[in-house]
Amino acid sequence: MRVGIPKGLLYCKYHPFFETFFRGLGAEIVNSEDTSKNILNMGVKVCVDEACLPVKIYHGHAASIKDRCDLLVVPRIMQVHRNEYICPKFCGLPEMIVHSIPGMPPVTSAPLYMHSKKSLFQWCVSSGSAITRSRSRIRHAFELALKAQNSHKTGIMDQKDITVMLAGHPYIVYDAFLNMDIVNKLKAKGIGILTEEFAPCAASESQVKKLLKKPFWTFQRNLFGASAALYEQKKIHGIIYLSSFACGIDSVVIDLIRFHTGDFPMLVIKFDEHTGEAGVDTRLEAFTDMLERRVLNEDNRPTYGQCLYSRQNPV
Amino acid sequence: MYSLGIDVGSVSTNLVLLDNNNNVVEKLYVRTRGKPMEAVQLVLSEIRKKYDSKQIYSAGTTGSGRMIASIQIGADIVKNEITAHAVAAIQTEKDVRTVLEIGGQDSKIIIIRDGVVTDFAMNTVCAAGTGSFLDRQAERLGIPIEEFGDHALKAAVPVRIAGRCAVFAESDMIHKQQLGYNTCDIIAGLCDALVRNYLSNVAKGKEILPKVIFQGGVAANSGIHRAFEKALNMPVIIPEHYDVMGALGAAILAREKVNRERAGTRFKGFSVSESSFKSKSFVCSGCSNQCEVVSVLENQQPVGYFGDRCGKYNQFTASATG
Repeated sequence: MRVGIPKGLLYCKYHPFFETFFRGLGAEIVNSEDTSKNILNMGVKVCVDEACLPVKIYHGHAASIKDRCDLLVVPRIMQVHRNEYICPKFCGLPEMIVHSIPGMPPVTSAPLYMHSKKSLFQWCVSSGSAITRSRSRIRHAFELALKAQNSHKTGIMDQKDITVMLAGHPYIVYDAFLNMDIVNKLKAKGIGILTEEFAPCAASESQVKKLLKKPFWTFQRNLFGASAALYEQKKIHGIIYLSSFACGIDSVVIDLIRFHTGDFPMLVIKFDEHTGEAGVDTRLEAFTDMLERRVLNEDNRPTYGQCLYSRQNPV
Repeated sequence: MYSLGIDVGSVSTNLVLLDNNNNVVEKLYVRTRGKPMEAVQLVLSEIRKKYDSKQIYSAGTTGSGRMIASIQIGADIVKNEITAHAVAAIQTEKDVRTVLEIGGQDSKIIIIRDGVVTDFAMNTVCAAGTGSFLDRQAERLGIPIEEFGDHALKAAVPVRIAGRCAVFAESDMIHKQQLGYNTCDIIAGLCDALVRNYLSNVAKGKEILPKVIFQGGVAANSGIHRAFEKALNMPVIIPEHYDVMGALGAAILAREKVNRERAGTRFKGFSVSESSFKSKSFVCSGCSNQCEVVSVLENQQPVGYFGDRCGKYNQFTASATG
């Protein structure tokens, strides 16, 4: 039995669970390759036009391995936290995939409530039934999968003289093709990076509590809470928010952060199918130029028109 | 000794020559027409008629074509448009606090406090409300772009045009025009729509304080200028060299850098306007990324590469431009 796991969307967060579970049942795991131009082209070709870029890329990943596996794992992730939802596109992902890509093998379609052990187990029973009917084998593989998942950590913590928070949905932050390798671009400029995973939990929670209403989306809780906490604790000099074009959740979250942080430097970069990097490079370069000058000038406000490019402060 | 600045933008390529006191002694503005390398050679061959290569103290490039131009001419500094525009704005108006800049494909707002850039924003993926859109509408209406603004000023009652998206704006304009609205009123409506879109999109949440200066090619459009003054309810200054501010900034930054490093200029000389520049693109098959790599050839010799993600080729470029 070959089980295909596309490397798109929340794969970066949850792949140990799925891979360990199916490997525990004796299946062979077939992964798609890292996102590439081929994957993007395939995804754009089959996916509905209105979807966001990460969903299109997910379609490309699924299409690239569909002929090499007997079962494709398309997680229908409903919730990650109790009483909160993630993006609505996840709820209908299996249907989208099956109806957009011709010639699909069977796909997993049971819903996943990641915060509930019971729901996860039910998913395993339903999805594992294609391989085995033995409850005990499923139970064993499930326990291994949970363990693997719990020891899986993501995030970037690399603090330097100038550090930015790299915010955005995980599948944008951790997909180097989609985000035009922004992590290495920042590294090359000597800029430190913090991601939402390294924001102090308690401080994030207390920021979220200050909102007018409880967040509906988990992405909103994580991104707003982390940005606000890192900003309040002065751990960062700016925020770079990576967003895919036409993301509904981001349209709310970006403004929530802006409203909270006032004139704190924040750069929003929108990604779509562009592969020309000049636009991103210009924005990053200008943003880091600005941060460098702001930091250097914090204690030493210049007289008019003098400090922008002095010898002590080369551009 | 002069400092040379070249701004290779999507619509125009500009060159300025500054004297030792950063006064503009020459400026050239040509259309890029999708051929950045030819445009750079064209401006260089023009300037060559009056100046000698030895008179050039420093050279800088900016604009979306800054990398390719720097390889061509041997630039001392390659700087993004935001920084270049901000430097030029501060040089021109010492106490500027807001810079509105609308170019061919980009529009940006730069917030300056006490002579330091404190915030900026650029348009996102959509190019609605930039010069190339105005260009296209002028062409569709058969009005030379130079006269577009004057038509707007003649309007009695500006018509409301949807400004959110270039495609929507165009269809709205066509519908209004087919209903018989006056062309001047439609153009004035378009100017208002562009400004509305700029203020609610690019400039959203930014504190616009005077002095406000408006630069970039679109500043030539008196209709947009008036629409800005009306919407902001404050005077908007258009600097004398509004159309070449990027190049001006690049020239200033280049001089600073050569002063700082004391190693002389890397400028290759005006003779490069005679070299034959070609570019050749190929798909690298080194990995699954399949990057589209462009190599720039000067007299058949490769002088630079772009477009590869891993740096296999553009390492070479980096060492060439420093």
